[in-house]
Amino acid sequence: MFDARDDLTLEELLLPSQVDSAIALLSRLCGTDVKLLHEPNSKATAVEFNLEIVAWLGGDLPEQQRMAAAKLMETLLFHAGKYRLAANLHHNATEANYEQLKQQHAALQASEARYRALSESLQERVDSQIAVIRDSQQKLYESARLRAVGQLAAGMAHEINTPVGFIASNLRTAQEYLSEIEEAIKGEPSPHEVLEDFQCLLTECLDGAARITNIIKDIRAFANIDQTDYRVFDLNDLVRTSVQLVTSELQPCSPITLELAPLPKLPGHPARVGQAIYNAVNNALRALSDDGEVVVTTRLVDEMVEITISDNGHGMGEEILSRAFEPFFTTRDVGVGAGLGLSVVRDVAMDHQGQVLLTSQEGQGSRLVLLLPIARASI
Amino acid sequence: MSKISLKVVYYGPAMSGKTTNLLQLHGQLNPQRKGEVMIMETRDDRTLFFDMLPIGFKREQEIDLRIKLYTVPGQVEHDSTRKAVLSRADGIIFVADSQLSQQENNAISFENLADNLLKVGLDIEKIPLTIQFNKRDLGRIVSEETLEGRWLNTPWWPLTLSSALKGQGTAETFEQLLQRLYPAVDREHALSSRHGITQKTFLEHLTQSSDY
Ligand SMILES: Nc1nc2c(ncn2[C@@H]2O[C@H](COP(=O)(O)OP(=O)(O)OP(=O)(O)O)[C@@H](O)[C@H]2O)c(=O)[nH]1
Ligand SMILES: [Mg+2]
Repeated sequence: MFDARDDLTLEELLLPSQVDSAIALLSRLCGTDVKLLHEPNSKATAVEFNLEIVAWLGGDLPEQQRMAAAKLMETLLFHAGKYRLAANLHHNATEANYEQLKQQHAALQASEARYRALSESLQERVDSQIAVIRDSQQKLYESARLRAVGQLAAGMAHEINTPVGFIASNLRTAQEYLSEIEEAIKGEPSPHEVLEDFQCLLTECLDGAARITNIIKDIRAFANIDQTDYRVFDLNDLVRTSVQLVTSELQPCSPITLELAPLPKLPGHPARVGQAIYNAVNNALRALSDDGEVVVTTRLVDEMVEITISDNGHGMGEEILSRAFEPFFTTRDVGVGAGLGLSVVRDVAMDHQGQVLLTSQEGQGSRLVLLLPIARASI
Repeated sequence: MSKISLKVVYYGPAMSGKTTNLLQLHGQLNPQRKGEVMIMETRDDRTLFFDMLPIGFKREQEIDLRIKLYTVPGQVEHDSTRKAVLSRADGIIFVADSQLSQQENNAISFENLADNLLKVGLDIEKIPLTIQFNKRDLGRIVSEETLEGRWLNTPWWPLTLSSALKGQGTAETFEQLLQRLYPAVDREHALSSRHGITQKTFLEHLTQSSDY
Protein backbone atom coordinates (compact mmCIF):
# COMPACT_ATOMS: atom_id res chain seq x y z
CA MET A 1 0.00 0.00 0.00
CA PHE A 2 2.83 2.40 0.83
CA ASP A 3 5.11 1.00 -1.80
CA ALA A 4 6.93 3.87 -3.46
CA ARG A 5 9.29 2.51 -6.07
CA ASP A 6 12.36 4.71 -6.23
CA ASP A 7 14.21 3.15 -9.17
CA LEU A 8 12.70 4.97 -12.09
CA THR A 9 13.19 4.28 -15.79
CA LEU A 10 14.01 6.95 -18.35
CA GLU A 11 10.41 6.88 -19.55
CA GLU A 12 9.18 7.42 -16.00
CA LEU A 13 11.58 10.31 -15.47
CA LEU A 14 11.00 12.33 -18.61
CA LEU A 15 8.38 12.58 -21.32
CA PRO A 16 9.64 11.50 -24.80
CA SER A 17 9.25 15.09 -26.02
CA GLN A 18 11.40 16.31 -23.11
CA VAL A 19 14.06 13.70 -23.92
CA ASP A 20 13.99 14.73 -27.58
CA SER A 21 14.41 18.44 -26.89
CA ALA A 22 17.19 17.75 -24.34
CA ILE A 23 19.05 15.61 -26.88
CA ALA A 24 18.56 18.24 -29.59
CA LEU A 25 20.05 20.89 -27.30
CA LEU A 26 22.95 18.62 -26.31
CA SER A 27 23.66 17.87 -29.98
CA ARG A 28 23.79 21.54 -30.74
CA LEU A 29 26.14 22.14 -27.77
CA CYS A 30 28.42 19.29 -28.81
CA GLY A 31 28.38 20.30 -32.46
CA THR A 32 27.52 16.72 -33.42
CA ASP A 33 24.59 14.33 -33.11
CA VAL A 34 24.24 12.57 -29.80
CA LYS A 35 21.52 10.09 -28.92
CA LEU A 36 20.29 7.98 -26.03
CA LEU A 37 20.78 4.24 -26.49
CA HIS A 38 19.34 1.22 -24.70
CA GLU A 39 22.50 -0.85 -25.17
CA PRO A 40 26.10 0.17 -24.53
CA ASN A 41 28.65 0.43 -27.33
CA SER A 42 32.25 1.57 -27.55
CA LYS A 43 31.25 5.18 -28.13
CA ALA A 44 28.66 5.47 -25.36
CA THR A 45 28.70 6.69 -21.76
CA ALA A 46 26.32 5.41 -19.04
CA VAL A 47 23.64 7.77 -17.78
CA GLU A 48 22.65 6.94 -14.20
CA PHE A 49 19.81 7.83 -11.95
CA ASN A 50 20.17 6.75 -8.31
CA LEU A 51 23.14 4.51 -9.21
CA GLU A 52 21.03 2.73 -11.82
CA ILE A 53 21.96 3.00 -15.50
CA VAL A 54 18.89 4.25 -17.34
CA ALA A 55 20.47 4.81 -20.77
CA TRP A 56 23.73 5.25 -22.72
CA LEU A 57 24.63 8.48 -24.34
CA GLY A 58 26.28 7.80 -27.65
CA GLY A 59 27.84 10.10 -30.24
CA ASP A 60 30.96 10.52 -32.26
CA LEU A 61 32.78 13.01 -30.04
CA PRO A 62 35.71 13.14 -27.64
CA GLU A 63 35.33 11.12 -24.44
CA GLN A 64 35.62 14.17 -22.14
CA GLN A 65 32.89 15.96 -24.04
CA ARG A 66 30.65 12.86 -24.10
CA MET A 67 31.05 12.42 -20.34
CA ALA A 68 30.15 16.06 -19.77
CA ALA A 69 27.07 15.62 -21.95
CA ALA A 70 26.11 12.49 -19.98
CA LYS A 71 26.64 14.34 -16.69
CA LEU A 72 24.37 17.15 -17.89
CA MET A 73 21.76 14.59 -18.80
CA GLU A 74 22.10 13.02 -15.34
CA THR A 75 21.60 16.40 -13.70
CA LEU A 76 18.44 16.84 -15.72
CA LEU A 77 17.23 13.41 -14.68
CA PHE A 78 18.13 14.03 -11.04
CA HIS A 79 15.88 17.07 -10.83
CA ALA A 80 13.11 15.45 -12.81
CA GLY A 81 13.42 12.39 -10.53
CA LYS A 82 13.29 14.49 -7.41
CA TYR A 83 9.98 15.89 -8.53
CA ARG A 84 8.70 12.48 -9.71
CA LEU A 85 9.61 10.71 -6.46
CA ALA A 86 8.02 13.44 -4.35
CA ALA A 87 4.90 13.31 -6.50
CA ASN A 88 4.72 9.50 -6.25
CA LEU A 89 5.18 9.58 -2.51
CA HIS A 90 2.58 12.25 -2.12
CA HIS A 91 0.20 10.25 -4.28
CA ASN A 92 0.80 7.09 -2.25
CA ALA A 93 0.40 8.86 1.06
CA THR A 94 -2.82 10.47 -0.09
CA GLU A 95 -4.10 7.21 -1.47
CA ALA A 96 -3.29 5.44 1.79
CA ASN A 97 -5.11 8.14 3.71
CA TYR A 98 -8.07 7.84 1.40
CA GLU A 99 -8.01 4.06 1.75
CA GLN A 100 -7.96 4.42 5.52
CA LEU A 101 -10.82 6.88 5.36
CA LYS A 102 -12.81 4.48 3.25
CA GLN A 103 -12.17 1.69 5.73
CA GLN A 104 -13.23 3.89 8.62
CA HIS A 105 -16.31 4.86 6.69
CA ALA A 106 -17.15 1.21 6.01
CA ALA A 107 -16.60 0.34 9.67
CA LEU A 108 -18.86 3.19 10.67
CA GLN A 109 -21.55 2.05 8.28
CA ALA A 110 -21.32 -1.50 9.57
CA SER A 111 -21.71 -0.43 13.16
CA GLU A 112 -24.57 1.83 12.19
CA ALA A 113 -26.30 -1.09 10.49
CA ARG A 114 -25.72 -3.20 13.59
CA TYR A 115 -27.35 -0.60 15.78
CA ARG A 116 -30.26 -0.24 13.41
CA ALA A 117 -30.85 -3.99 13.44
CA LEU A 118 -30.55 -3.98 17.20
CA SER A 119 -33.11 -1.23 17.63
CA GLU A 120 -35.46 -3.03 15.26
CA SER A 121 -35.32 -6.25 17.21
CA LEU A 122 -35.49 -4.39 20.49
CA GLN A 123 -39.30 -4.07 20.49
CA GLU A 124 -39.62 -7.76 19.78
CA ARG A 125 -37.26 -8.65 22.57
CA VAL A 126 -38.99 -6.32 25.01
CA ASP A 127 -42.34 -7.88 24.12
CA SER A 128 -41.15 -11.42 24.65
CA GLN A 129 -39.45 -10.40 27.87
CA ILE A 130 -42.69 -8.86 29.10
CA ALA A 131 -44.52 -12.10 28.31
CA VAL A 132 -41.97 -14.05 30.34
CA ILE A 133 -42.26 -11.66 33.27
CA ARG A 134 -46.07 -11.78 33.15
CA ASP A 135 -46.03 -15.55 33.08
CA SER A 136 -43.73 -15.86 36.06
CA GLN A 137 -45.63 -13.14 37.90
CA GLN A 138 -48.82 -15.06 37.36
CA LYS A 139 -47.28 -18.28 38.62
CA LEU A 140 -45.94 -16.47 41.64
CA TYR A 141 -49.32 -14.97 42.28
CA GLU A 142 -51.07 -18.32 41.94
CA SER A 143 -48.72 -20.07 44.29
CA ALA A 144 -48.85 -17.22 46.82
CA ARG A 145 -52.62 -17.34 46.75
CA LEU A 146 -52.58 -21.06 47.12
CA ARG A 147 -50.24 -20.84 50.07
CA ALA A 148 -52.36 -18.16 51.75
CA VAL A 149 -55.55 -20.16 51.30
CA GLY A 150 -53.76 -23.22 52.54
CA GLN A 151 -52.41 -21.49 55.62
CA LEU A 152 -55.80 -20.05 56.43
CA ALA A 153 -57.49 -23.43 55.98
CA ALA A 154 -54.86 -25.21 58.03
CA GLY A 155 -55.18 -22.63 60.82
CA MET A 156 -58.94 -22.85 60.84
CA ALA A 157 -58.85 -26.63 60.80
CA HIS A 158 -56.55 -26.64 63.78
CA GLU A 159 -58.72 -24.17 65.74
CA ILE A 160 -61.92 -26.05 65.02
CA ASN A 161 -60.42 -29.45 65.67
CA THR A 162 -59.90 -28.92 69.39
CA PRO A 163 -63.43 -27.79 70.34
CA VAL A 164 -64.93 -30.43 68.06
CA GLY A 165 -62.74 -32.95 69.82
CA PHE A 166 -64.10 -32.15 73.26
CA ILE A 167 -67.65 -31.72 71.95
CA ALA A 168 -67.49 -35.27 70.54
CA SER A 169 -65.89 -36.64 73.66
CA ASN A 170 -68.41 -34.90 75.92
CA LEU A 171 -71.28 -36.17 73.76
CA ARG A 172 -70.04 -39.75 74.14
CA THR A 173 -69.79 -39.27 77.92
CA ALA A 174 -73.31 -37.77 77.93
CA GLN A 175 -74.56 -40.84 76.05
CA GLU A 176 -73.03 -43.10 78.69
CA TYR A 177 -74.58 -41.04 81.46
CA LEU A 178 -77.92 -41.27 79.69
CA SER A 179 -77.58 -45.07 79.50
CA GLU A 180 -76.79 -45.17 83.23
CA ILE A 181 -79.78 -42.97 83.99
CA GLU A 182 -82.00 -45.27 81.87
CA GLU A 183 -80.64 -48.26 83.81
CA ALA A 184 -81.24 -46.57 87.14
CA ILE A 185 -84.80 -45.61 86.46
CA LYS A 186 -85.74 -48.92 84.78
CA GLY A 187 -89.31 -49.91 85.61
CA GLU A 188 -90.09 -46.57 87.02
CA PRO A 189 -92.78 -44.59 85.45
CA SER A 190 -90.97 -42.06 83.44
CA PRO A 191 -91.16 -40.25 80.10
CA HIS A 192 -89.36 -42.93 78.12
CA GLU A 193 -90.08 -41.18 74.83
CA VAL A 194 -88.09 -38.19 76.03
CA LEU A 195 -85.14 -40.35 76.92
CA GLU A 196 -85.25 -42.13 73.58
CA ASP A 197 -85.45 -38.82 71.84
CA PHE A 198 -82.54 -37.58 73.92
CA GLN A 199 -80.50 -40.60 72.85
CA CYS A 200 -81.31 -39.86 69.17
CA LEU A 201 -80.34 -36.25 69.60
CA LEU A 202 -77.00 -37.17 71.03
CA THR A 203 -76.39 -39.72 68.29
CA GLU A 204 -77.17 -37.10 65.65
CA CYS A 205 -74.88 -34.61 67.38
CA LEU A 206 -72.09 -37.20 67.38
CA ASP A 207 -72.70 -37.83 63.68
CA GLY A 208 -72.41 -34.11 63.09
CA ALA A 209 -69.19 -33.92 65.07
CA ALA A 210 -67.81 -36.88 63.12
CA ARG A 211 -68.69 -35.13 59.88
CA ILE A 212 -66.99 -31.93 61.02
CA THR A 213 -63.90 -33.99 61.87
CA ASN A 214 -63.95 -35.50 58.39
CA ILE A 215 -64.30 -32.14 56.71
CA ILE A 216 -61.36 -30.89 58.74
CA LYS A 217 -59.36 -33.90 57.61
CA ASP A 218 -60.25 -33.09 54.01
CA ILE A 219 -59.34 -29.45 54.43
CA ARG A 220 -56.07 -30.48 55.95
CA ALA A 221 -55.33 -32.79 53.09
CA PHE A 222 -56.20 -30.09 50.62
CA ALA A 223 -54.40 -27.41 52.51
CA ASN A 224 -51.28 -29.43 52.39
CA ILE A 225 -49.66 -26.74 50.34
CA ASP A 226 -46.19 -28.10 50.44
CA GLN A 227 -46.02 -28.47 46.68
CA THR A 228 -43.00 -30.71 46.78
CA ASP A 229 -44.89 -33.27 48.81
CA TYR A 230 -44.72 -36.25 46.52
CA ARG A 231 -46.53 -39.38 47.50
CA VAL A 232 -49.05 -42.04 46.52
CA PHE A 233 -52.61 -40.81 46.93
CA ASP A 234 -56.25 -41.70 46.31
CA LEU A 235 -57.54 -39.61 43.44
CA ASN A 236 -61.22 -40.19 44.22
CA ASP A 237 -60.73 -38.86 47.74
CA LEU A 238 -59.04 -35.83 46.31
CA VAL A 239 -61.91 -35.27 43.85
CA ARG A 240 -64.46 -35.51 46.67
CA THR A 241 -62.57 -33.07 48.86
CA SER A 242 -61.98 -30.58 46.07
CA VAL A 243 -65.60 -30.65 44.97
CA GLN A 244 -66.74 -30.24 48.58
CA LEU A 245 -64.52 -27.19 48.96
CA VAL A 246 -65.87 -25.61 45.78
CA THR A 247 -69.50 -26.24 46.62
CA SER A 248 -69.27 -25.07 50.21
CA GLU A 249 -69.33 -21.58 48.81
CA LEU A 250 -72.50 -22.32 46.88
CA GLN A 251 -76.19 -22.83 47.49
CA PRO A 252 -77.23 -25.88 49.54
CA CYS A 253 -78.30 -28.04 46.63
CA SER A 254 -75.18 -28.86 44.67
CA PRO A 255 -75.33 -28.98 40.87
CA ILE A 256 -72.40 -31.39 40.83
CA THR A 257 -72.74 -35.11 40.18
CA LEU A 258 -69.85 -37.42 40.94
CA GLU A 259 -69.38 -40.67 39.03
CA LEU A 260 -66.26 -42.16 40.50
CA ALA A 261 -65.05 -45.58 39.38
CA PRO A 262 -62.73 -47.57 41.66
CA LEU A 263 -59.16 -46.52 40.98
CA PRO A 264 -55.69 -47.68 42.00
CA LYS A 265 -53.69 -45.18 44.00
CA LEU A 266 -51.34 -43.07 41.95
CA PRO A 267 -48.12 -41.21 42.67
CA GLY A 268 -47.87 -37.46 42.45
CA HIS A 269 -48.27 -34.14 44.21
CA PRO A 270 -51.77 -34.38 45.72
CA ALA A 271 -51.87 -30.70 46.66
CA ARG A 272 -51.16 -29.67 43.07
CA VAL A 273 -53.60 -32.16 41.55
CA GLY A 274 -56.22 -31.00 44.09
CA GLN A 275 -55.68 -27.42 43.02
CA ALA A 276 -56.09 -28.42 39.36
CA ILE A 277 -59.38 -30.23 40.03
CA TYR A 278 -60.56 -27.33 42.17
CA ASN A 279 -59.82 -24.87 39.40
CA ALA A 280 -61.44 -26.99 36.69
CA VAL A 281 -64.62 -27.58 38.72
CA ASN A 282 -64.76 -23.96 39.82
CA ASN A 283 -64.53 -22.92 36.18
CA ALA A 284 -67.29 -25.28 35.14
CA LEU A 285 -69.57 -23.97 37.90
CA ARG A 286 -69.02 -20.38 36.89
CA ALA A 287 -70.02 -21.18 33.33
CA LEU A 288 -73.42 -22.54 34.45
CA SER A 289 -76.77 -20.82 34.17
CA ASP A 290 -79.46 -21.41 36.84
CA ASP A 291 -80.38 -24.99 35.99
CA GLY A 292 -76.96 -26.11 34.80
CA GLU A 293 -75.15 -29.26 35.78
CA VAL A 294 -71.58 -30.35 36.23
CA VAL A 295 -70.57 -34.00 36.01
CA VAL A 296 -67.25 -35.18 37.36
CA THR A 297 -66.23 -38.71 36.41
CA THR A 298 -63.14 -40.72 37.05
CA ARG A 299 -62.17 -43.97 35.36
CA LEU A 300 -59.24 -46.11 34.43
CA VAL A 301 -58.10 -45.97 30.80
CA ASP A 302 -55.17 -48.27 30.10
CA GLU A 303 -52.32 -47.11 32.32
CA MET A 304 -53.91 -43.73 32.92
CA VAL A 305 -56.48 -42.35 35.26
CA GLU A 306 -58.95 -40.12 33.49
CA ILE A 307 -60.85 -37.33 35.22
CA THR A 308 -63.53 -35.65 33.16
CA ILE A 309 -65.28 -32.46 34.19
CA SER A 310 -68.13 -31.56 31.86
CA ASP A 311 -70.75 -28.87 32.15
CA ASN A 312 -73.69 -27.65 30.11
CA GLY A 313 -72.86 -23.99 30.67
CA HIS A 314 -72.29 -21.22 28.17
CA GLY A 315 -69.20 -22.82 26.59
CA MET A 316 -66.46 -21.01 24.76
CA GLY A 317 -65.94 -19.73 21.24
CA GLU A 318 -62.95 -20.60 19.10
CA GLU A 319 -61.02 -17.54 20.12
CA ILE A 320 -61.49 -17.97 23.85
CA LEU A 321 -60.83 -21.70 23.63
CA SER A 322 -57.54 -21.11 21.89
CA ARG A 323 -56.40 -18.79 24.64
CA ALA A 324 -57.91 -20.61 27.62
CA PHE A 325 -54.59 -21.95 28.85
CA GLU A 326 -52.83 -18.59 28.83
CA PRO A 327 -51.87 -17.72 32.39
CA PHE A 328 -53.35 -14.25 32.39
CA PHE A 329 -56.35 -14.88 30.25
CA THR A 330 -59.77 -14.32 31.82
CA THR A 331 -63.31 -13.86 30.66
CA ARG A 332 -64.39 -12.67 34.06
CA ASP A 333 -64.31 -9.09 35.25
CA VAL A 334 -61.02 -7.94 36.60
CA GLY A 335 -60.95 -8.55 40.33
CA VAL A 336 -63.30 -11.52 40.35
CA GLY A 337 -60.52 -13.95 39.70
CA ALA A 338 -57.25 -14.03 37.95
CA GLY A 339 -57.37 -16.13 34.83
CA LEU A 340 -59.40 -19.21 34.19
CA GLY A 341 -56.93 -21.09 36.31
CA LEU A 342 -56.52 -23.51 33.43
CA SER A 343 -52.85 -22.78 33.10
CA VAL A 344 -52.45 -24.45 36.48
CA VAL A 345 -54.28 -27.50 35.14
CA ARG A 346 -51.96 -27.67 32.18
CA ASP A 347 -48.86 -27.19 34.36
CA VAL A 348 -50.01 -29.98 36.71
CA ALA A 349 -50.67 -32.32 33.78
CA MET A 350 -47.19 -31.60 32.44
CA ASP A 351 -45.56 -32.03 35.85
CA HIS A 352 -47.15 -35.45 36.13
CA GLN A 353 -46.41 -36.47 32.56
CA GLY A 354 -50.12 -36.45 31.90
CA GLN A 355 -52.33 -34.76 29.35
CA VAL A 356 -55.09 -32.25 29.31
CA LEU A 357 -57.79 -31.87 26.68
CA LEU A 358 -60.33 -29.09 26.49
CA THR A 359 -63.29 -29.11 24.14
CA SER A 360 -66.13 -26.65 24.07
CA GLN A 361 -69.10 -25.50 22.05
CA GLU A 362 -70.50 -22.08 22.47
CA GLY A 363 -73.88 -22.33 24.23
CA GLN A 364 -73.52 -26.12 24.68
CA GLY A 365 -70.95 -26.45 27.44
CA SER A 366 -67.35 -27.48 27.94
CA ARG A 367 -65.50 -30.66 28.69
CA LEU A 368 -62.10 -30.91 30.29
CA VAL A 369 -60.27 -34.23 30.38
CA LEU A 370 -57.23 -34.67 32.59
CA LEU A 371 -55.19 -37.86 32.15
CA LEU A 372 -52.63 -38.89 34.74
CA PRO A 373 -50.37 -41.95 34.51
CA ILE A 374 -50.59 -44.55 37.27
CA ALA A 375 -46.92 -45.45 37.13
CA ARG A 376 -44.25 -42.91 36.51
CA ALA A 377 -40.91 -43.77 35.16
CA SER A 378 -39.16 -41.22 37.27
CA ILE A 379 -40.05 -38.74 39.91
CA MET B 1 24.27 -11.14 -10.87
CA SER B 2 22.41 -10.59 -7.60
CA LYS B 3 20.88 -7.21 -7.20
CA ILE B 4 20.19 -6.23 -3.62
CA SER B 5 18.37 -3.06 -2.80
CA LEU B 6 18.10 -1.98 0.83
CA LYS B 7 16.42 0.91 2.54
CA VAL B 8 17.58 2.63 5.71
CA VAL B 9 15.37 5.31 7.20
CA TYR B 10 16.38 8.16 9.51
CA TYR B 11 13.46 8.69 11.86
CA GLY B 12 12.93 11.06 14.77
CA PRO B 13 11.22 14.20 16.01
CA ALA B 14 11.21 17.44 14.03
CA MET B 15 14.52 19.33 13.99
CA SER B 16 16.48 16.57 15.70
CA GLY B 17 19.07 16.57 12.91
CA LYS B 18 18.11 13.82 10.48
CA THR B 19 18.77 15.86 7.37
CA THR B 20 22.03 17.11 8.89
CA ASN B 21 23.09 13.50 9.51
CA LEU B 22 22.47 12.63 5.89
CA LEU B 23 24.34 15.63 4.57
CA GLN B 24 27.31 14.87 6.81
CA LEU B 25 27.29 11.27 5.74
CA HIS B 26 27.30 12.35 2.12
CA GLY B 27 30.42 14.36 2.78
CA GLN B 28 32.21 11.88 5.04
CA LEU B 29 31.39 8.50 3.62
CA ASN B 30 33.46 7.19 0.85
CA PRO B 31 31.65 4.09 -0.30
CA GLN B 32 32.46 2.41 -3.54
CA ARG B 33 29.43 4.04 -5.14
CA LYS B 34 27.71 7.18 -3.99
CA GLY B 35 24.92 9.05 -5.75
CA GLU B 36 23.70 12.58 -5.41
CA VAL B 37 21.94 13.51 -2.20
CA MET B 38 18.39 14.58 -2.84
CA ILE B 39 17.26 17.17 -0.33
CA MET B 40 13.68 18.33 -0.22
CA GLU B 41 13.08 20.92 2.35
CA THR B 42 11.21 24.13 2.83
CA ARG B 43 13.03 27.39 3.42
CA ASP B 44 13.34 26.94 7.20
CA ASP B 45 15.23 23.59 7.10
CA ARG B 46 12.18 21.45 7.43
CA THR B 47 12.04 18.34 5.33
CA LEU B 48 8.90 18.23 3.21
CA PHE B 49 8.73 14.78 1.67
CA PHE B 50 12.04 13.07 2.33
CA ASP B 51 15.76 13.32 1.71
CA MET B 52 17.58 10.54 -0.03
CA LEU B 53 21.12 9.41 -0.56
CA PRO B 54 21.89 6.29 -2.59
CA ILE B 55 25.15 4.44 -1.89
CA GLY B 56 26.32 0.99 -2.82
CA PHE B 57 28.97 -1.34 -4.13
CA LYS B 58 29.20 -3.53 -7.15
CA ARG B 59 31.24 -6.47 -8.33
CA GLU B 60 31.03 -7.02 -12.03
CA GLN B 61 28.93 -10.10 -12.94
CA GLU B 62 28.39 -10.90 -9.28
CA ILE B 63 26.68 -8.49 -6.98
CA ASP B 64 25.14 -5.05 -7.12
CA LEU B 65 24.17 -3.90 -3.62
CA ARG B 66 22.57 -0.55 -3.04
CA ILE B 67 21.36 1.15 0.09
CA LYS B 68 19.09 4.12 -0.10
CA LEU B 69 19.29 6.32 2.94
CA TYR B 70 16.08 8.22 3.53
CA THR B 71 15.02 10.77 6.11
CA VAL B 72 11.41 11.32 7.06
CA PRO B 73 9.83 14.69 7.83
CA GLY B 74 9.74 14.92 11.65
CA GLN B 75 6.90 17.36 11.92
CA VAL B 76 3.82 15.76 13.45
CA GLU B 77 1.49 16.69 10.60
CA HIS B 78 3.43 14.68 8.01
CA ASP B 79 2.50 11.31 9.46
CA SER B 80 1.18 9.78 6.26
CA THR B 81 4.39 10.74 4.45
CA ARG B 82 6.42 9.15 7.27
CA LYS B 83 4.43 5.97 6.90
CA ALA B 84 5.00 5.93 3.15
CA VAL B 85 8.75 6.45 3.52
CA LEU B 86 8.91 3.81 6.24
CA SER B 87 7.33 1.08 4.16
CA ARG B 88 9.70 -1.73 3.23
CA ALA B 89 12.49 -0.31 5.39
CA ASP B 90 15.34 -2.73 6.14
CA GLY B 91 16.87 -0.68 8.95
CA ILE B 92 16.12 2.39 11.05
CA ILE B 93 18.29 5.10 12.58
CA PHE B 94 16.37 6.97 15.22
CA VAL B 95 17.81 10.45 15.69
CA ALA B 96 16.82 11.78 19.11
CA ASP B 97 17.40 15.35 20.24
CA SER B 98 19.57 15.42 23.38
CA GLN B 99 18.17 18.71 24.67
CA LEU B 100 16.31 18.28 27.97
CA SER B 101 13.37 20.21 26.54
CA GLN B 102 12.97 17.67 23.73
CA GLN B 103 12.69 14.43 25.72
CA GLU B 104 8.91 14.35 25.50
CA ASN B 105 9.10 14.83 21.72
CA ASN B 106 11.62 12.00 21.47
CA ALA B 107 9.25 9.68 23.31
CA ILE B 108 6.27 10.66 21.18
CA SER B 109 8.25 10.15 18.01
CA PHE B 110 9.59 6.77 19.14
CA GLU B 111 6.09 5.60 19.89
CA ASN B 112 4.97 6.92 16.52
CA LEU B 113 7.77 4.89 14.93
CA ALA B 114 6.58 1.71 16.62
CA ASP B 115 2.99 2.40 15.53
CA ASN B 116 3.87 3.15 11.96
CA LEU B 117 6.17 0.15 11.67
CA LEU B 118 3.27 -1.99 12.76
CA LYS B 119 1.03 -0.35 10.19
CA VAL B 120 3.45 -1.16 7.38
CA GLY B 121 3.86 -4.71 8.65
CA LEU B 122 7.17 -4.37 10.51
CA ASP B 123 8.09 -5.00 14.13
CA ILE B 124 10.21 -2.55 16.10
CA GLU B 125 11.58 -5.44 18.16
CA LYS B 126 12.86 -7.22 15.07
CA ILE B 127 13.97 -4.59 12.60
CA PRO B 128 17.67 -3.53 12.80
CA LEU B 129 17.56 -0.25 14.71
CA THR B 130 20.15 2.18 16.00
CA ILE B 131 19.36 5.04 18.35
CA GLN B 132 21.42 8.19 18.15
CA PHE B 133 21.31 11.05 20.66
CA ASN B 134 22.26 14.09 18.63
CA LYS B 135 23.23 17.67 19.51
CA ARG B 136 25.69 16.61 22.22
CA ASP B 137 27.48 19.94 21.62
CA LEU B 138 24.68 21.86 23.32
CA GLY B 139 24.28 22.64 27.05
CA ARG B 140 21.20 21.51 29.01
CA ILE B 141 21.21 18.05 27.50
CA VAL B 142 20.23 14.70 28.93
CA SER B 143 23.27 13.12 30.65
CA GLU B 144 24.95 9.90 29.58
CA GLU B 145 24.13 8.32 32.97
CA THR B 146 20.47 9.05 32.49
CA LEU B 147 20.60 7.56 29.00
CA GLU B 148 22.30 4.46 30.30
CA GLY B 149 19.69 4.12 33.02
CA ARG B 150 16.91 4.37 30.46
CA TRP B 151 18.29 2.32 27.61
CA LEU B 152 20.70 -0.21 29.09
CA ASN B 153 18.12 -2.95 29.27
CA THR B 154 16.72 -2.49 25.80
CA PRO B 155 17.71 -4.36 22.64
CA TRP B 156 19.14 -1.11 21.31
CA TRP B 157 21.93 -0.53 23.79
CA PRO B 158 24.57 0.82 23.25
CA LEU B 159 23.26 4.07 21.82
CA THR B 160 25.40 6.39 19.77
CA LEU B 161 26.12 10.01 20.68
CA SER B 162 26.64 12.65 18.04
CA SER B 163 26.92 16.22 17.07
CA ALA B 164 25.78 16.05 13.49
CA LEU B 165 26.28 19.73 12.98
CA LYS B 166 30.00 19.24 13.69
CA GLY B 167 30.14 15.97 11.81
CA GLN B 168 30.83 13.95 14.96
CA GLY B 169 29.26 10.54 15.47
CA THR B 170 27.27 10.42 12.25
CA ALA B 171 29.48 7.86 10.49
CA GLU B 172 29.75 5.81 13.72
CA THR B 173 25.96 5.75 13.96
CA PHE B 174 25.66 4.54 10.40
CA GLU B 175 28.32 1.88 10.99
CA GLN B 176 26.51 0.59 14.04
CA LEU B 177 23.34 0.29 11.97
CA LEU B 178 25.25 -1.57 9.24
CA GLN B 179 26.53 -4.00 11.87
CA ARG B 180 22.99 -4.64 13.04
CA LEU B 181 21.72 -4.84 9.46
CA TYR B 182 24.32 -7.27 8.15
CA PRO B 183 23.02 -10.46 9.83
CA ALA B 184 19.53 -9.98 8.37
CA VAL B 185 20.86 -9.29 4.87
CA ASP B 186 23.31 -12.17 5.13
CA ARG B 187 20.50 -14.49 6.15
CA GLU B 188 18.35 -13.47 3.19
CA HIS B 189 20.96 -13.13 0.49
CA ALA B 190 23.75 -15.43 1.71
CA LEU B 191 26.28 -12.59 1.48
CA SER B 192 29.11 -14.53 3.08
CA SER B 193 28.48 -18.01 1.73
CA ARG B 194 27.65 -17.05 -1.84
CA HIS B 195 29.61 -13.87 -2.31
CA GLY B 196 32.28 -14.10 0.36
CA ILE B 197 31.18 -10.79 1.82
CA THR B 198 31.80 -10.80 5.56
CA GLN B 199 30.49 -8.17 7.93
CA LYS B 200 33.89 -6.49 7.75
CA THR B 201 33.90 -6.21 3.94
CA PHE B 202 30.26 -5.18 3.98
CA LEU B 203 31.15 -2.27 6.26
CA GLU B 204 34.26 -1.36 4.34
CA HIS B 205 32.54 -1.28 0.97
CA LEU B 206 29.81 0.94 2.27
CA THR B 207 31.83 3.38 4.32
CA GLN B 208 35.22 3.66 2.66
CA SER B 209 36.19 2.78 -0.83
CA SER B 210 38.65 0.06 -1.53
CA ASP B 211 39.88 -1.45 -4.73
CA TYR B 212 39.04 -4.93 -5.77
N1 LIG C 1 23.69 22.46 17.91
C1 LIG C 1 23.36 21.50 17.04
N2 LIG C 1 22.44 21.76 16.11
C2 LIG C 1 22.14 20.78 15.23
C3 LIG C 1 22.75 19.51 15.30
N3 LIG C 1 22.24 18.76 14.30
C4 LIG C 1 21.34 19.52 13.65
N4 LIG C 1 21.27 20.74 14.21
C5 LIG C 1 20.43 21.86 13.80
O1 LIG C 1 19.08 21.56 14.03
C6 LIG C 1 18.27 22.12 13.02
C7 LIG C 1 17.45 21.04 12.38
O2 LIG C 1 18.24 20.09 11.73
P1 LIG C 1 17.71 19.18 10.58
O3 LIG C 1 18.77 18.21 10.23
O4 LIG C 1 17.11 19.96 9.48
O5 LIG C 1 16.57 18.46 11.36
P2 LIG C 1 15.57 17.36 10.83
O6 LIG C 1 15.56 16.28 11.83
O7 LIG C 1 15.88 16.96 9.44
O8 LIG C 1 14.19 18.15 10.88
P3 LIG C 1 12.84 17.82 10.08
O9 LIG C 1 13.23 17.65 8.66
O10 LIG C 1 11.94 18.96 10.31
O11 LIG C 1 12.32 16.58 10.67
C8 LIG C 1 19.20 22.75 12.03
O12 LIG C 1 19.26 24.11 12.28
C9 LIG C 1 20.52 22.10 12.30
O13 LIG C 1 21.60 22.95 12.03
C10 LIG C 1 23.73 19.28 16.32
O14 LIG C 1 24.33 18.21 16.46
N5 LIG C 1 23.99 20.32 17.16
MG1 LIG D 1 14.92 17.00 7.69
